[in-house]
Amino acid sequence: MSESVAVARAAARAGPADQARFAALEPRRKLQLALALVWLLDGILQFQPWMFSKAFPQMLADSAQGNPAVLAAPITWSAGLIGHHLTVLNALFATIQVALGLGIACRASVKYALGASVAWSLGVWWFGEGFGGVLAGTASPVNGAPGAVILYALLAVLLWPADTDPADTDPGAPFVAGRAVGRRAAQALWLVLWGSLAFFSLTPASRAPQAISGTISAMAAGEPSWLAWIDSHAASALAHQGLAASIVLAAAFGIIAAGIYASARSVIIAALVMTVALWLAQGLGGIFTGMGTDVESAPLLALIALAFWPSATAAEAASATASATASEAGAA
Amino acid sequence: MGGPVWLSAIFAAMMLVVAVYCTGRLVVARRWRRPTELDTDGAHVVMGVAMAGMLVSGLRAPLPTGLWEGVFGAGAVWFGAQALRARRGPVTSPWRCLHAAPHLVECVAMVYMFLLLPAAVVIKSAAGRMGAMAVSSAGSRFSFLALLMAVFLLGYVIWLGDRLMPRSPALALAAQPPAASALVAVPSGAATSASTSATASATASAAATASASATAPAACHAAAPAPRCLAPRCALLCKAAMGMTMGYMLILML
Repeated sequence: MSESVAVARAAARAGPADQARFAALEPRRKLQLALALVWLLDGILQFQPWMFSKAFPQMLADSAQGNPAVLAAPITWSAGLIGHHLTVLNALFATIQVALGLGIACRASVKYALGASVAWSLGVWWFGEGFGGVLAGTASPVNGAPGAVILYALLAVLLWPADTDPADTDPGAPFVAGRAVGRRAAQALWLVLWGSLAFFSLTPASRAPQAISGTISAMAAGEPSWLAWIDSHAASALAHQGLAASIVLAAAFGIIAAGIYASARSVIIAALVMTVALWLAQGLGGIFTGMGTDVESAPLLALIALAFWPSATAAEAASATASATASEAGAA
Repeated sequence: MGGPVWLSAIFAAMMLVVAVYCTGRLVVARRWRRPTELDTDGAHVVMGVAMAGMLVSGLRAPLPTGLWEGVFGAGAVWFGAQALRARRGPVTSPWRCLHAAPHLVECVAMVYMFLLLPAAVVIKSAAGRMGAMAVSSAGSRFSFLALLMAVFLLGYVIWLGDRLMPRSPALALAAQPPAASALVAVPSGAATSASTSATASATASAAATASASATAPAACHAAAPAPRCLAPRCALLCKAAMGMTMGYMLILML
């Protein structure tokens, strides 16, 4: 039985004694609410005045550059359409994102909202982000590769309110992300995601001498002084160190990618540390500039990492197994 | 304030609707003796009017400088005291808000906006029509605070959405911290069998609830003998509208 249906049915019979139960959120629900918050924030950001200016469709049109013609033409067409009906369409985009956030927050509509968010994310990944620069060769972890919006779709899949094992007693799914798609599939997705970040760290867009430094310093414009200080100093430290920085980044992402099959907890902590550094390098998504359309990829990578955090039951099982093994070795 | 004029007008209209509705709640609650969070509804009346005036200059009330800051400063003190009181023990009155922290943040945000808005308006006027509202250097220094408050308030809206159950009025009410502390939390992963475990655990927790009810607050969500709370879902929607509008205004001020 899916989580949302179970909760709704239980709610129908709920009395005062059960109200507190629903107040105690399980980990997957907490992550769903965090995702909902990000969607709601994106919707509010989309209502900023800059989004209603001609600069917004121009930014969309620029994302077509470098993509194959068959994929770039629709991007250019849609940017032109948005430019001609800017107020209505941008208000619609913002309202859709707000609705997605509220829909995921409301238990009765979480499934529909997550499904809709996948479709919306795929569309925005194409028409809004030009596939995150993946096909254009400009993708870099520092500029949000593989595209922040595709991570929303990935999260929606990983946090889908269904379990591969209805009894949810499968010890092979020791983390939230494995409940809907299964442990192996979730780990494979993790490997692909972080492995792709390692790959993008080594492309010319990242390894050029001034690539990473230039990207970070460009973020400083329009930021508060404290954030601009961090970005400008980071850019100075990485000046002419593009190759070395890209190798270090690739190694870190590669270890994180492969490490999910070994020590999950330490790998996830490392991933969270990387996301903090990435978010600072991304200028917190440009939120303070008035031109940020979203929070960028780093917070979403953090949510994905948290979805792989070993659950308490899995940790207890692992601890029990380790204790049993140690006692057997001692007895022997 | 910055932003498209029509969008500001929509938000201002929404705030006036909230203010009028909350005024009605206060009147009806007194007349029909139906419990409602008096302090929350009263705050929303004042906030609704103030925010409408900030969003649309034509709706700005000609009040002395500093009055709004004083009013919301007092509100912050009130809700801060309520939050501290809630930490010491259960809320005993059905006429007080159960969750004071969000309203405390709302009041602080109002003070913040009133303190920074005049400087921002001057800069925008000097710079001509800009795509984004410019904030003074003082505002830029505190922009992270504005972001934190905006994220908190939008998170509050999400939390309210999680509590909104269209088919179950009981769950649309505010949470009950005292009862929650008396119950055993549902273990992680048990959600899929919640429909069967709900009945079983309800029986198991009945004893704990019975003992807790002796000291449980007579709040809007109390057991049957207590008077029914006044339109809890509508109250929830008002809070969500307030949180979202304030989040939008804080984002504009980043």
